[in-house]
Amino acid sequence: MHQAAHTHGGHEAAYESGWARWLYATNHKDIGTLYLWFAFAMFLTGGVMALCIRAELFQPGLQFWQPEFFNQLTTLHGIIMVFGAIMPAFTGLANWMLPLMLGAPDMAFARMNNWSFWLLPPAAALLLISLFVPGGAPAGGWTLYPPLSAQAGMGMDLAIFSIHLLGLSSIMGSINIITTILNMRAPGMTMLKMPLFAWTSLVTAYLLIAVAPVLAGAVTMLLTDRHFGTHFFSAAGGGDPVLFQHIFWFFGHPEVYIMALPAFGIVSQIIPTFARKPLFGYVSMVYATCSIAILSFMVWGHHMFAVGMPATAQLFFMFLTMLIAVPTGVKVFNWIATMWQGSMTFETPMLFAIGFVCLFTVGGFSGLVLSIAPVDTQMQDTYYVVAHFHYVLVAGALFSLFAAVYYWLPKWTGYMYHEGRGKFHFWWSMVWFNVTFFPMHFLGLAGMPRRIPDYALQFTSFNSIASVGAFCFGLGQLLFLYNVIHTIRGGVGPAPARPWEGGNTLEWEVPSPAPHHTWESPPDLTTVRRGLIAQAVEHEGESDEPKSENRA
Amino acid sequence: MQLALKHKNQTLAIKLAAIALLMFGFGYALAPFYGAFCQFLGIDRAEASLTQAGAALRIEFDVNVPEGLPVTMQALDSVQTGKAGGVVKARFMLRNDSDQALTVRAVPSFAPVRAAGLLRKLECFCFDALTLAPKESREVTVVLLVADQLPPEMGAATLSYSLQKVM
Repeated sequence: MHQAAHTHGGHEAAYESGWARWLYATNHKDIGTLYLWFAFAMFLTGGVMALCIRAELFQPGLQFWQPEFFNQLTTLHGIIMVFGAIMPAFTGLANWMLPLMLGAPDMAFARMNNWSFWLLPPAAALLLISLFVPGGAPAGGWTLYPPLSAQAGMGMDLAIFSIHLLGLSSIMGSINIITTILNMRAPGMTMLKMPLFAWTSLVTAYLLIAVAPVLAGAVTMLLTDRHFGTHFFSAAGGGDPVLFQHIFWFFGHPEVYIMALPAFGIVSQIIPTFARKPLFGYVSMVYATCSIAILSFMVWGHHMFAVGMPATAQLFFMFLTMLIAVPTGVKVFNWIATMWQGSMTFETPMLFAIGFVCLFTVGGFSGLVLSIAPVDTQMQDTYYVVAHFHYVLVAGALFSLFAAVYYWLPKWTGYMYHEGRGKFHFWWSMVWFNVTFFPMHFLGLAGMPRRIPDYALQFTSFNSIASVGAFCFGLGQLLFLYNVIHTIRGGVGPAPARPWEGGNTLEWEVPSPAPHHTWESPPDLTTVRRGLIAQAVEHEGESDEPKSENRA
Repeated sequence: MQLALKHKNQTLAIKLAAIALLMFGFGYALAPFYGAFCQFLGIDRAEASLTQAGAALRIEFDVNVPEGLPVTMQALDSVQTGKAGGVVKARFMLRNDSDQALTVRAVPSFAPVRAAGLLRKLECFCFDALTLAPKESREVTVVLLVADQLPPEMGAATLSYSLQKVM
């Protein structure tokens, strides 16, 4: 292991302090940190918007916002959380952890990495500026359906440019991730010996390269419809707004898995660590990841059952959608089987991981309900759908991110976080998350539409409960911020290189905090083997122990 | 980084960027695919095979003037009946309410969309931009040729015009 700081001909040393370190950052750890802080800032921004929405919905009638502004809030909340918070957070984790886990010195393209991050703040700025231009921010929902989006004010143009920048950033980030994983693994680490987080990052990056340009195309068509006289989606000129929905969801459904697969990878690292058992069915997990990715391209139509579609097409999309439950089920069963008879302990990352498995399963099942075309026709655009995707994206993506932060925080900062406060953060989030979103299932079943600032009287009590839950859930995230800052400032003491006794991937082989430059020369085969996920080694019938001992 | 690895990385990056570019093109290709697909499935597009002779069609004319455009537009024959194979003529009154000359263009649209294939515009004020002098009123017309065969389920069709100011 070579952990000594390396200056790369001296030019990097000059940038290693102050703002220049971050502006010109090419080190994967610095860029990972930037991504994570950016994502957290966006999480708080989108969160404040969510609270504005819940404040309005605390009781019927218009309290705080005019309906137009309410629509802008829901639209920006969606776009910011998806493109500004969740996706950059996963890219940040991939940046921080992949080179460490794979035994690579850095990401494959360090300068492009810097670019992919620094495209994000202007993109976010464009989105936020759109609130202050005449006509306000886009108000057509995060799906930006025309004709609403085709008629909106200049806020829509800002959002379109912002999406272009975000897409460009995602594509560059993905090229970096794929190249790093395929070309820069330590010798001895075959594809089927990679940590599962690397696998899910790889598949996610491929998904992004395939679908982010499609979204870019869709919004470009929208832009030319708005300003250059084309008629892709404008009915007046012979175009069809439904075409936008098809193209959008051809991007949008894989996007759902872009936000879910890295979460699967994270919990697949954490559960074996705290169950002190190898991941059950590693290879089947890899295949399940790939199957989910492939199937995700073929199910976009289930977002459009109510648009008008021949019965055969509805059946096609319905059955394929249900089919995704199979590989997802394989994953859930494997996580449970990993925990089964393990020596489990319940530190904060494990709590968040188990919370993820339980709640994501609820979200998955409500998704299965929505996949049934005749049911979906009833549920379309009700709060049931809102409940479903928040169970998938908050309890899924967000909880897995919390789990990841607590899991790797000792490696990042060199200090241990306060376990009690971590656990409190988990239980607080778990309780209030459910108070917020579980009643939404009932609201939806009773017929409350989504994206409305005012509602019928009979929906009042559940809406009030949800609003109280949302404010408490939001408040709890300040505790998360406190926990992280407290840890950075020393936490409850220095962390050892291997703070979790069950952690067996390569990142635990380097000291905590991870030095600025690691794996300048790749880890040797023994380190790789020691750091390898045991089940992959077992899978190939190999073992670190001499074979004669096994036979004895 | 060794030179060989750098080269290998660059080759892969170029391939991946090419995939991204192809997918951008694919997004655009979905537009013609979509048209072909709808035609193949027989949804939402006019199809000659669906038609049947002799039916009458109620044709409604509608106009939309965007807010802020100082023009009044009105359909003088707002409902008419078209016979299969017949010709329908509809008149509209256009007035420039402002004190300045204005150039406008009318953008037509049909509902249902497949009516576009059944009602062919032989002559239309919408083919060109119209320049109106200050306070000028003008009568404009559209002449439609109704298809020889009309689908039985097509009871009524609407032809709507949206005015746009030409800069």
